[in-house]
Amino acid sequence: MSFRKRNIGLSAGADRAPAPNTTTAQPEQASAPPESNPGIRPSPDDGRPTTSTGSLSLDNLLAGHGGLPIGKMLLIEENGTTDFAGALLRYYAAEGVVQDQKIHVIGMPEQWGRSLPGLLGPADAGDEKKSDRRKGDRMKIAWRYERLGEFGAGVAGSRGWSSPTRRNRRVRGTQTLTGVAPAATSGDQTMTDGVQPAFCHSFDLTKRLTHPSIANINYIPLVPSNEPLFTSILKRLQQVISQSPPNTAHRIIIPSLLNPTLYPPETSQPDILLPFLHSLKALLSAPTTRITAMVTIPLSLFSRSSGLVRWIEIISDGVIELCPFPHSADALGASGAATSHEEPPQGMLKTHRLPVLHERGGGSDQNIGQDWAFTLSRRKFEIKPFSLPPAEGDKEAQDGATSGGMPKKADLEF
Amino acid sequence: MPAQPPLPPLLAPYVSALPPSSLTLLSSVLGATGNWLILRYLYSALGAPTGDAAFGLLGGESGRKRKVVLVSFLRGWEFWRSEAKRLGLDLARLTDKRQFAFVDGLSELFYTPATLPPSSQTTPTTSGPAPSRTVLPVRSQPGPVPARGGPQPAPAPARPTPNNPYQRVQQQSRGPGPVKQLHLTGTGVQALDALENDISSVIKQLKTPVTPGEEEPEILLIVDQPDLLLAATGPAKGIGATEMGEWIMGLQQNVHATVLALSADSPLIHNAAESAHQPSTPLEMESAAFAIGSAHRAQMVLQLRNLETGAARDVSGVLRVSKGGAWGQVDAGAEDKWEEREVLYFVQRDGGVCVFGRGE
Repeated sequence: MSFRKRNIGLSAGADRAPAPNTTTAQPEQASAPPESNPGIRPSPDDGRPTTSTGSLSLDNLLAGHGGLPIGKMLLIEENGTTDFAGALLRYYAAEGVVQDQKIHVIGMPEQWGRSLPGLLGPADAGDEKKSDRRKGDRMKIAWRYERLGEFGAGVAGSRGWSSPTRRNRRVRGTQTLTGVAPAATSGDQTMTDGVQPAFCHSFDLTKRLTHPSIANINYIPLVPSNEPLFTSILKRLQQVISQSPPNTAHRIIIPSLLNPTLYPPETSQPDILLPFLHSLKALLSAPTTRITAMVTIPLSLFSRSSGLVRWIEIISDGVIELCPFPHSADALGASGAATSHEEPPQGMLKTHRLPVLHERGGGSDQNIGQDWAFTLSRRKFEIKPFSLPPAEGDKEAQDGATSGGMPKKADLEF
Repeated sequence: MPAQPPLPPLLAPYVSALPPSSLTLLSSVLGATGNWLILRYLYSALGAPTGDAAFGLLGGESGRKRKVVLVSFLRGWEFWRSEAKRLGLDLARLTDKRQFAFVDGLSELFYTPATLPPSSQTTPTTSGPAPSRTVLPVRSQPGPVPARGGPQPAPAPARPTPNNPYQRVQQQSRGPGPVKQLHLTGTGVQALDALENDISSVIKQLKTPVTPGEEEPEILLIVDQPDLLLAATGPAKGIGATEMGEWIMGLQQNVHATVLALSADSPLIHNAAESAHQPSTPLEMESAAFAIGSAHRAQMVLQLRNLETGAARDVSGVLRVSKGGAWGQVDAGAEDKWEEREVLYFVQRDGGVCVFGRGE
């Protein structure tokens, strides 16, 4: 097959690329076995290494990279008292556990790690069945595009593995510009072997994850000490990260930042919080480390219209806001769902900023400007384009409108 | 959309002809960041052939060499290097040629990593096991610890041994050598003065001629998001909008022209107004005062914002160029070259930018 040759060329180039200005560290990185990069693959957009958030549709939302780029911090804001963001964090942590990445959880006890959702298998496999079912009703355009447009209509190109020729062409094009990450090596070797390690898994929220590396989760408690809280957190993070082997991928998880039940009140002072986040960003963007971070913040306590939250957003690389629908679950039963087969959406999702894309100036992403709705079910957190349902509740609404606000036609007779 | 040159023609007059001792304010919002525009300033000053042609308009100044100092508080060297490469600028090479200098305000601004010796440690002299930590800082060039008198963050209680092989790899591959890293220590004006000294020393280094008899180059200083400093310190630490304004003014004295990139999101500007519904926090008041004060001192204000009508697939945002408060104070000749206008822009996947008027 023609793409094998390209793969060989690519991996040779990738060995040279990872850190052009660091001559001394190079042999170390180049000789590293590719197996040490589980869960990292090059972005189909520009070849930078990305890692999965543990939720397929969130991966697909992230500006065509098919995952969270290494070194980026994703901020998930949530309105109301629900904990959808917490579910996303658990997926993110569980994915890291399954991929043998090092997890750092800040401010949560060990129970948090024990309640991670159980593993079902690679996310793609579950998807396969679903698309099989759909295949009948859909017109096929071309086999090589088949899996590209699966999620909504606008996420083409984010499924890197399924279109190897396309991805390689792109990666090769930008290789000289951005430098292909070492992860490219692992990806391409496994490709030629014909075995693809799963990039994203699906999890079951009702089960509990059992995995040998779950015991390796690093919990950083928020305990008062003689130095400022955030300083000691940062020191512990830096210490663990600098002591781990250089190829380790890290995930930093900060649930419910500034939540007053966890954090002392003075931490919401900008001169305490913002230096911490800034240093966290510095830690993430250091060229030699492979860290991603996910932070959630309750918006009901800290409004988006405040300067502090805006600065938190400016420091973060990606900002996603969850707005759960206020009504109760059973009232939603009839409305909301586009068809009877789909589950009704549980809330709206807004993307305010996407990693890498907005750093470059924004625009040019197909997902931008869409209204998104999310549905959290037992098996996945699904994000799809939001559309108002055509039927059912509508009639009542019309009736209500005519009887209440609008005068009846008879009344207007003159 | 047709491809446009790296410096789109509509943008060129605003980016290339910066009058002497001028301040240009570049404001951005969350969804419309200004990094691409900063790169255009870099390109205009450093990009070889087209750059000279653009400066030819300036008459007598065209003969002078242009150099750029970029101070960035929110993005690291890797970001700027790789993004500039997409425009055809090799910042690492330009640094070697002493046409460009990067000042890193991200990596170690607030916390010096306790496990790392001073960042000057880039030479592979530690190939053998380092006997003890105290010998490590061989070159003291940007050495943060001895250079500053301020209180240092207390060392970590349990330091990993310097013999840890992984750690040494990290030390050596930490960024390029010439990058200066800023450290904020202490409070108030002293802390800002220390930063100013650091940046000025980089500017001076760049100014000193390589060959004797060379004309002094024009330095363009780009300060990317210094408002982070203000937001992360604030009046409680003795740094307010006034101090920041004076700090910028002090930096301006050393250079030919200054470009200042700030965040101007609505909460940071409008919450401080009297008409706001909720009482404003010190952070909001100081941010607004700093941004508005800078706009009054600027010759030109470039505002980036999202499209009012919602996101679009072929428009990234709106760029509005307007006259700042200081417009018309210095010689009017250079200022005739541009007019106030509002255009749309679109940042493409490949890093190129299209700038076009509404309806074009």
